Amino acid sequence: MDDVRFRPCGDRAITVEFENEISIAVNKKVRALQCALETEEIPGVIETVPTYRSLLIQYKPAVIRYAPLVEKVKEKLSDLSALTLPPAMITEIPVCYEGEYAQDLDEIASIEKKSRDEIIRIHSGSDYFVYMLGFAPGHPYTARFENPFSFKRRKSPRERIPGGSIVVQLQLSDIIPFDQPCGWNIIGTTPVLACDFRKKNPFCLHSGEWIRHIPITAAEFRSIRGKVEAGNYTFTRREYKG
Amino acid sequence: MSMIIESGGILTTVQDGGRYGSQQYGVYPSGPMDDRSFRMANILAGNDADEACLEITISGPVIRFTENAVIAVTGGNFTPELNRNPLGMYRAVAVKDGDTVSFGYAKTGCRCYLAVAGGMNIPDLMGSKSTLIKYGVGGYKGRKLASGDEIPLNGTPDAVSDLTARVLPAEQIPSEVRTVRVILGPQEEDFTEAGIRTFLYSEYTVNPVSDRMGYRMDGPRIEQKTDGNIISDGIVMGAVQVPTDGKPIIMMADHQTVGGYTKIASVISVDLPVVGQMKPGDRARFVAVGIEEAQDLYAAYLNELESFKVKMNTPVSYRAPRYFTICVNNRQFSVKVEEAE
Repeated sequence: MDDVRFRPCGDRAITVEFENEISIAVNKKVRALQCALETEEIPGVIETVPTYRSLLIQYKPAVIRYAPLVEKVKEKLSDLSALTLPPAMITEIPVCYEGEYAQDLDEIASIEKKSRDEIIRIHSGSDYFVYMLGFAPGHPYTARFENPFSFKRRKSPRERIPGGSIVVQLQLSDIIPFDQPCGWNIIGTTPVLACDFRKKNPFCLHSGEWIRHIPITAAEFRSIRGKVEAGNYTFTRREYKG
Repeated sequence: MSMIIESGGILTTVQDGGRYGSQQYGVYPSGPMDDRSFRMANILAGNDADEACLEITISGPVIRFTENAVIAVTGGNFTPELNRNPLGMYRAVAVKDGDTVSFGYAKTGCRCYLAVAGGMNIPDLMGSKSTLIKYGVGGYKGRKLASGDEIPLNGTPDAVSDLTARVLPAEQIPSEVRTVRVILGPQEEDFTEAGIRTFLYSEYTVNPVSDRMGYRMDGPRIEQKTDGNIISDGIVMGAVQVPTDGKPIIMMADHQTVGGYTKIASVISVDLPVVGQMKPGDRARFVAVGIEEAQDLYAAYLNELESFKVKMNTPVSYRAPRYFTICVNNRQFSVKVEEAE
């Protein structure tokens, strides 16, 4: 495989870098390598972190050193095209775009010179691809193909926005898992938790999956929130078919 | 059957070896800032090397025991006391029901570790007892310790025998400029030659806005070819990020799992404890080494820990030297007693 670079990150990790771009095609290679390492483990590899165009591999030098590890990873890469990725999943993320739940929706509509309804249709009308999780536990970096919105960040970030906020810019849409500062526009709020530490598996999303935002009313928001808080909410997930 | 926290200190948290396996979900591993002192404390107390300990920062707690226990304190010198008498560091010490252990300010280093034989009886989160302090989960109620907290102990003091042989010569924490060895990269190519020279030949000072997440270093700006932004990739403990302003940030135990700034280098594993013991105002110089050398050093470190553990767990011949701390006129002396030939 050309265009793959191996870079040491200190003495206990390496980064495997694919092409320098954010695209689903490149991210699929990252995901394929991660799957190959999960399917047939290289002894000494502790865990991997997929990002847009790189896979971070953390390992124990006592078991395998840098040079032999790179060789083993190269072997995996030569087999990658033969690897079938498990089917991607798509998860429905309910989003309330009403009133106080959609703090910046009017501003977004004004910038785009469209109606509130049109903005909602644009955001909820397309699947978003989950490139990776990071920044906070369960926080997905997601994007769609085209730029539905023209704006980037707000002039100044807010010191604190609530967990559950759905924030957007350009072709990106993020679920903010916990209260935190944020400089993006808030288009809606979801009653579900991107990270629920009470659960055995706290996370609802994984790198390489898809999400679809489903508009809900304020009443539905409260009802789902109740289920989430009681630990009774189940995500709607299915195989993604293009 | 517990430790009662009478006062919490500035930042005292429960940390074990770290929470691995979920970095791909954005969960940073936490764990100790000074891995070496942390592991030594556990080995001295007869625990698994990665058992949960208290990590004590800058100014320490006052702790009262409600049962007999065996403890060990390592790391920076906080002039710890046992019932108002100096408490020996780098050794296993027996404490009794009702005893109080207290810590002052860090005279040397920045952090010290308190291990208790048998460990603490607190629940795991995703397989680890480390505190995920930013998200309020893990460890003891997801936060730093506070007055009134009560930490249940598993309590196996009788399992630890021969306390007078459970000693390690105290590690000296340097007070002058630290040498911190690094491996260049992964974004070495994004820096100019001048930038790399600046990084490797200048002295950097720890800025007060430094914490478990990262150490901001003050010093000459590091020149890079671009504005310092990259497509976000993974971050490890020890990674040195250089944002647009050219000032390096050493990512530490509570690092974000992914980041979008260029990384000029990564601190080698055996020098992470050196960084973990630096306080605001402390100075460092970075030295580049090869990965082979770094991994040799790491292998030697693991061997050292393993040998020490074997030595501690081997029944001691009655002829072996014993170490005692004696207190004369309020001054502490380390005494080694050997059987005469």
